[in-house]
Amino acid sequence: MRARELVRLAKPRPNPSRWRKPAAALSVVAFAASVSVAAGQATSYAEASGVAHATKTGFLACEVTDTGGINDRSFNASAYQGLKVAAKAIPGLRYTFLSSTSTSDYVPNINDFIHEKCGIIVTVGFDMANATAAAAKAHPTQKFSIVDYTYTPKIKNVLALHYDTNQDAFLGGYLAAAMSKTGKVGTFGGQDIPTVTIYMDGWVAGVRYYDKVNHAHVVALGWTPAKHRNFASGSFAGKGLFTNDFTNQSLGKTDAQTLMAEGADIIFPVAGAVGLGAAAAVKQAGAGHWMEWVDTDGCVSAPQYCSIFITSVTKGIVASVAHAVVTAAKGTFQGGNYIGTLANGGVALSPFHTFASKIPVKVKSALNKIRAGIIAGKISLDPNSYPAS
Amino acid sequence: MSVVELAPSDLVAAPEGRVVTSARVRGMGAFLLALAAIMVLAFGAGVPSDAKATFLLSAPPAIGLAPLVMPVRWVSIALAVVCAGLGAALLVRARPRGSYLTFGAGVTVFIWALLAWAARGNTLNFEQMLAETLVSATPLVYGALSGVMCERSGVVNIAIEGQFLAGAFLGAMIGSATGVLWAGVVAGAVAGAIFGALLAFLALRYGADQIIVGVVIVAFCTGLTNFLTEQVLTPYQATLNSPSTFSPAGIPLLDKIPILGPVLFYQNVFVYGAAVLLVVVQVALFQTRWGLRARAVSEHPRAAETVGIHVLSVRYRNVILGGVIAGIGGASFTIGSIGEFSADMTAGLGYVALAAMIFGRWRPFGALGAALLFGFSISLQSFLAVLNVGIPSPFLSMTPYVITIAVVSGLVGRVRPPAADGVPYSRE
Repeated sequence: MRARELVRLAKPRPNPSRWRKPAAALSVVAFAASVSVAAGQATSYAEASGVAHATKTGFLACEVTDTGGINDRSFNASAYQGLKVAAKAIPGLRYTFLSSTSTSDYVPNINDFIHEKCGIIVTVGFDMANATAAAAKAHPTQKFSIVDYTYTPKIKNVLALHYDTNQDAFLGGYLAAAMSKTGKVGTFGGQDIPTVTIYMDGWVAGVRYYDKVNHAHVVALGWTPAKHRNFASGSFAGKGLFTNDFTNQSLGKTDAQTLMAEGADIIFPVAGAVGLGAAAAVKQAGAGHWMEWVDTDGCVSAPQYCSIFITSVTKGIVASVAHAVVTAAKGTFQGGNYIGTLANGGVALSPFHTFASKIPVKVKSALNKIRAGIIAGKISLDPNSYPAS
Repeated sequence: MSVVELAPSDLVAAPEGRVVTSARVRGMGAFLLALAAIMVLAFGAGVPSDAKATFLLSAPPAIGLAPLVMPVRWVSIALAVVCAGLGAALLVRARPRGSYLTFGAGVTVFIWALLAWAARGNTLNFEQMLAETLVSATPLVYGALSGVMCERSGVVNIAIEGQFLAGAFLGAMIGSATGVLWAGVVAGAVAGAIFGALLAFLALRYGADQIIVGVVIVAFCTGLTNFLTEQVLTPYQATLNSPSTFSPAGIPLLDKIPILGPVLFYQNVFVYGAAVLLVVVQVALFQTRWGLRARAVSEHPRAAETVGIHVLSVRYRNVILGGVIAGIGGASFTIGSIGEFSADMTAGLGYVALAAMIFGRWRPFGALGAALLFGFSISLQSFLAVLNVGIPSPFLSMTPYVITIAVVSGLVGRVRPPAADGVPYSRE
């Protein structure tokens, strides 16, 4: 805390005009960044970037990222995109963010934003659930929204955004199985937490469903869902391949190479930015090796790899975060839990982009049927409903 | 038993000498016997007698080898006998000479049985496992060589992590902006050199505590690269943060060698560069007058000064060269691997490189061994997870660090750094 306070002393806040001078801002801010990191605190330069969007009055929307950082091409970036979309919808709406460089930054970052009088604080990620709930209870008038979590019971000043990503991951798994030439496909996760493994569960279920309906024997490597468990309760069960790290892209590369070495030709990383390491590995492996991206449309968020992305298993973070911010700004905010599904468009398989012509029509129509079946509740998403190859 | 006696001449000849007690040798022997017991019980008796494991031993462009198919139970028991024999030899003889070699052989045999067990009823791409080992070890080799360069002149370089980050950042940015990857390598080297020079300046000109200066440089580089990434690289991702990467290039004929060919001779320039640097640093430090001077400065700077060596300029030169090496190692993270910079992407490997240097007793090839061990444990945990061995993933992910701690604390024994390492020098 002390370093952060020193930084505060060093820069007189309520004088935004000073901050428009880029050179001065750069030097002080770089100093602030280094000092705060030295003390194990969050980087505070984000405040300068918020000022860039500042107008004198108006609603301030704030995001606290998790350790993946604002540029993770994944949920942190998507949530920030949500703020930008909201800013377009509401003239004068300002937005900013604070990066968390470690999990110990969550609480101080949230507190900073409470002091900044943010209209809404958007926190990102399962890992921030406790910090967000504690802050929400301590500050009942402060509005929050959290990405990737649901609270039971609901908290009235928090809109928790949760996505049933096993629904679109099921489609992704089916597609991967249909496109595999080697008969093996592979996935790995960033961390063994429900928001990650729900993707892997759905994906493996999709592969197994493909095998069942097509009498095929495609094997999914990297994740083995546990046999007897309550599927609805989320999962810490099951065994698989995890980087246990959302920043070290080399590990993503290693894991993807391992999966390919063991025969997989389609890789589905569920690891945020670490997946970019997998993309580098898949691209390097060359012809016949493809992958599916996660969270966002990979052809938009990581266009350099668009040629290897069959599709992306996305969740509608942008739209739902924008919704939370807009309603908070308009005064119609309602706390509680939002569940994104295939039915309400909260989760979806992205367009096929470069693969649009490479995916057989038969597979595309099968995907449409499965999608309808999932929405109607006729197709089980539980991987244990299907025999494993 | 008592500590092995070291004559003063030994100390002069091998200042990095390691003191191995016979109690430690017995401990190693007992450990091998325990491993042998695990191999018999878990990997031998614990699997069906008809279980087979297949190891793939070839990859393009090498001449193909038939996969190795092994009956897991019998191979494990045979290997257990070997391991037990090595352990018994250590227990009975209890001599330090060759004890590490024997121990290493025993552990290797254990790992072979572990892999056979993990791959039972399955196929393990052993070739790729070795390749991943080398690739994961490469940045560590650069980092450890940087440490060796600095500490062999008497300056502690904790800042390797920061120099990695700076090199990775600038390497990606310049490589991307110019479209010339070699320019990225040079930029990485320059970035490393700048922070090497900063370390040297603060440590040598002002006699600041080298550990503290190093830590501050790491913090500064972390903050600066995070800041510049968000403010500069992200808005201009396509132009400033999308370098291509060096692709692997085979060395003709050598890459056709079965098993080792693709691993050693079908890699990218950073791997070859690390190999060249290893030899260069080894020869320069231990075979040249330049190296003798550097080592003299790290052991007894005052004596060196009296024979006319300019202590500070030797140190400046080595620390900046060390920065250059770490900067190039940093560039390997981006233009040698992933093809873009992202915040904190070096993930503490600079510190692991420092541990590798210590484990390697301040010698280049010792550090290489430590780096390969760490690289192997990364690749091992990845393969074990895919082979679904049933160990929870957080434990598997710990493997590289557990091995590092075990090795540094349990195996290395007492190692002696250069005598004047980290001590500021002034003429008065």
